Amino acid sequence: MTMLKGSCWDELAELALNHVRHAGAEYGDIRIQHIDTQIIRGEDRRIANIQDVQDTGFGVRVLYNGAWGFAASSILSIEEIPRVAKLAIQIAKSSASIIQSRVQLTPEPIYQGTVKTPWKRNPFDVPLEEKTALLASTMGLLHQHPGIVRSQATMWACRDRKLLVSMEGAHLSFDLMAVQGGFQATALSNGRFASREFNMPHLRTGYELLAQTNFLKETSRVAVQALEKANAPPVDAGIYDLVLDPEHLALTIHESCGHPSELDRALGYEANYAGTSFLTPEKLGHFRYGSSQVNLIADNTEPETLAATGFDDDGVPCQRWEIVREGQFVGYCTNREMATTIGDTRSRGSNRAESWASVPMIRIANIGLAPGKATLDQLLSEIKRGIYIEGHGSYSIDHRRYNFQFGGDAFWLIENGKRTRMLRDVIYQGIAPDFWHRCDGVADVNHRGRFGFITCGKGQPGQVGWMTHPASHARFRNIQVIPGQARP
Amino acid sequence: VSSKLPQNWPLLTSREEFAFLTHLVLRNSTGEHASVLLQDHHAGAVRFANNQIIQHVDTHKVRFLVTIGFGRKHASASTTDLTAGAVRETLQRAESLARMAPEDPECLPPPAPQHYGLWPTFRPETFETGVSGRFHLAREAIEQCQTQKVQGAGILTSAVTSVGVAANTGLFAYEPRTEARFSLTAQTDDASGWTAAVHRSIEKLNVVNRSLLAIGNCKRGKGPRELPPGKYTVVLQPPAVAGLLHGMLNSLDAKSYEARTSPFSAKLHQAIIDHRFSLHNRPDHPDMLGCGFTREGLPVTRMTWIENGLLRQLAYDRYTAYQKGISLIPTLESPCLEGEPRDQRTLEQLIQGTERGIFVTNFWYIRAVNQMDLTLTGMTRDGTFLIENGKVTAPLRNFRFHDSPLRAFQNISGYTEPQEATSAESGKFLVPALRIQDFYFSSVSAC
Repeated sequence: MTMLKGSCWDELAELALNHVRHAGAEYGDIRIQHIDTQIIRGEDRRIANIQDVQDTGFGVRVLYNGAWGFAASSILSIEEIPRVAKLAIQIAKSSASIIQSRVQLTPEPIYQGTVKTPWKRNPFDVPLEEKTALLASTMGLLHQHPGIVRSQATMWACRDRKLLVSMEGAHLSFDLMAVQGGFQATALSNGRFASREFNMPHLRTGYELLAQTNFLKETSRVAVQALEKANAPPVDAGIYDLVLDPEHLALTIHESCGHPSELDRALGYEANYAGTSFLTPEKLGHFRYGSSQVNLIADNTEPETLAATGFDDDGVPCQRWEIVREGQFVGYCTNREMATTIGDTRSRGSNRAESWASVPMIRIANIGLAPGKATLDQLLSEIKRGIYIEGHGSYSIDHRRYNFQFGGDAFWLIENGKRTRMLRDVIYQGIAPDFWHRCDGVADVNHRGRFGFITCGKGQPGQVGWMTHPASHARFRNIQVIPGQARP
Repeated sequence: VSSKLPQNWPLLTSREEFAFLTHLVLRNSTGEHASVLLQDHHAGAVRFANNQIIQHVDTHKVRFLVTIGFGRKHASASTTDLTAGAVRETLQRAESLARMAPEDPECLPPPAPQHYGLWPTFRPETFETGVSGRFHLAREAIEQCQTQKVQGAGILTSAVTSVGVAANTGLFAYEPRTEARFSLTAQTDDASGWTAAVHRSIEKLNVVNRSLLAIGNCKRGKGPRELPPGKYTVVLQPPAVAGLLHGMLNSLDAKSYEARTSPFSAKLHQAIIDHRFSLHNRPDHPDMLGCGFTREGLPVTRMTWIENGLLRQLAYDRYTAYQKGISLIPTLESPCLEGEPRDQRTLEQLIQGTERGIFVTNFWYIRAVNQMDLTLTGMTRDGTFLIENGKVTAPLRNFRFHDSPLRAFQNISGYTEPQEATSAESGKFLVPALRIQDFYFSSVSAC
């Protein structure tokens, strides 16, 4: 068996597509990919795990008589390429034998080129000692604070090199970098424990992002707040105004807007697992999703964000479009297979696979809440009794993305316009469109954060997707809050 | 553990080939400690929605992980390429990182050679199911949905993985494992029914019978009523019980227990659930996904975790186990919750004995709300019904629950014998259906 390196990828792609073409497929593409990932994980002052992962392989996707077939292998050899290409054809033929409606791809211009996300310092070239020393120092400082009994600190970097070639003529090379880091302190006081986190956003930059983020400076605040959280009183159930910070909002947007705006869910493709969507196609352009303050923009062109990869796995360029305009539901995340079902003539370029081993599917774009005009202080000043929430905690939402419940990482009582003492066990509940109707203020662009996810689960077999959800602080009026404790 | 792979496709890494790869690493390693983990995975899936195949895939993926230690310094590197050059390069990466790693006070050498149980991990009928076999089974489910005029969405998969663990201590373990899965959601405009199965043998999926079950529940769910949130008696089907139990078992790690940051702190050998119930690990059970060894090469064994309601075990990492003098680390990949046989009833008897309650098929999106008291939340899904005067009388809109299994499992008023259960929220369990008093639903979903 002859294993072939990156310099031969073009030849391997041609070999695969020749087999697909000669078999009579109407469409075929191949993704050849090499992914480097480094994960460093610290726990309780020690570096518990250092792992350097290399993941190489290819996937061949074909359309034959209107039905999909896909086969993939981590054996990148001249023997394996034809086997996998033929297998993809065999699979598509069997699917086609019972097809009721043929898949037809929305036309798209042919693109050829290279996408490289910028970085100043390659995280894989940074000496390991520098990275582990930073994590160890971070945990050491956390444990200097009274009450801190456990700590975690992590650093993650990923470089994704990929070639996408299609029978239509698309030829796209990718070199995509991303990094992230964060830490957590757990305090124990009077028999109660509580954790507080600090997370850098996942962004497509180099190690410079970690260098700019001063972990050590943040340790004191995080440790102190962990202890304060452990000693904080539980929230009283009731109706509160909420102010949510950008990191927290990233999850709220993801669950209550991002997933419902995936067209495949709305069409029932995820009914057996991730669920469907309350934003059904007849609502497009006719449904009030939120207040006039709410503008949710999908933007896969913003540099450094996770879904800004130049092109998706259909070979469609990344785009910017509206999901919700002044409260009105106006757009979906789509791909070439499904765009026409809602009358679109072109895909929004949201078809992505986790890796070479997975078939692409519609994924949430970089959907963000457009900035408003207020400052955070102004949002707080107009609240008599409310709660300010930072970070992620418990989250759960029904399979139509309608009924949700969120916690957070840290909570402060707002009294007469001022953030006062910490609370614990805050849980708020809502119905997605009703909740967004209660948004009456969004902070300006100076408050904007760009948090996102690399663990968004969807599909069977399961895949993870990556996306960023930029947001500024936002205020929501009269939200039901319950204490996160078991009823006696 | 020894089990020979048949010599037809898929050509997975054999025991002899894994031994060769191990030898290649150990012979060239300069580390004081060296260990390897192989996962050679070949899987196929047919996914369908709206009674049509939407995804049909076949994937072969290898992962080979090398871990090297120099004293208390250690690091790992992995590759998907099993050629000799790539394996050597992976070893060099692991060694290079390990040399630069800081000392880890909890670093232990790899385990010594172990004795493993011979559990039934490999079923040839699953191994031999290829594209055609998966397609025909999926088509059977689709055809049932078409015939019954419901929209079916589901998946049929079969997979085989050769798994190996070895180390320079002489540790060596290898076994092939098969797994087949089927799940189906049958839908109409306002109702859905669901089923799921996972087994080492694809012949145990019972695709047609399960499809009819899901379709029947879907049809019974038409025109759901809305009830207010509050405390209700619930009859939980085994998948719903598995979801709650899974949420509880996730919090049993010993390190948190020792640091007193666990909901089970100070509860070892104390009552945590109804005294009639015990939880065992059953890797030997023919319907469970037992395996011979863990990723670290430790043996998987039968073990009692909860005995007559008393917590007897914690989930130990190797270092904490070493500190506590525990030589056989308990594992829990095949959990079986069983109530005393004399009180077991049938599901029908549980319903008949319920004056007013809610029948729950499954829970969805279960998440921890409070790590102190283990409060969980989640939604009911794919079949929620009202029970009145001992009969299922009406379909209901879905509820959100907000309760702790530590409280709920103390309020059990009836149960069946254990049955196979799996869901998106859990692995595979053997658990009974349970009737629980005063289970708290905090809100209702209007759709």
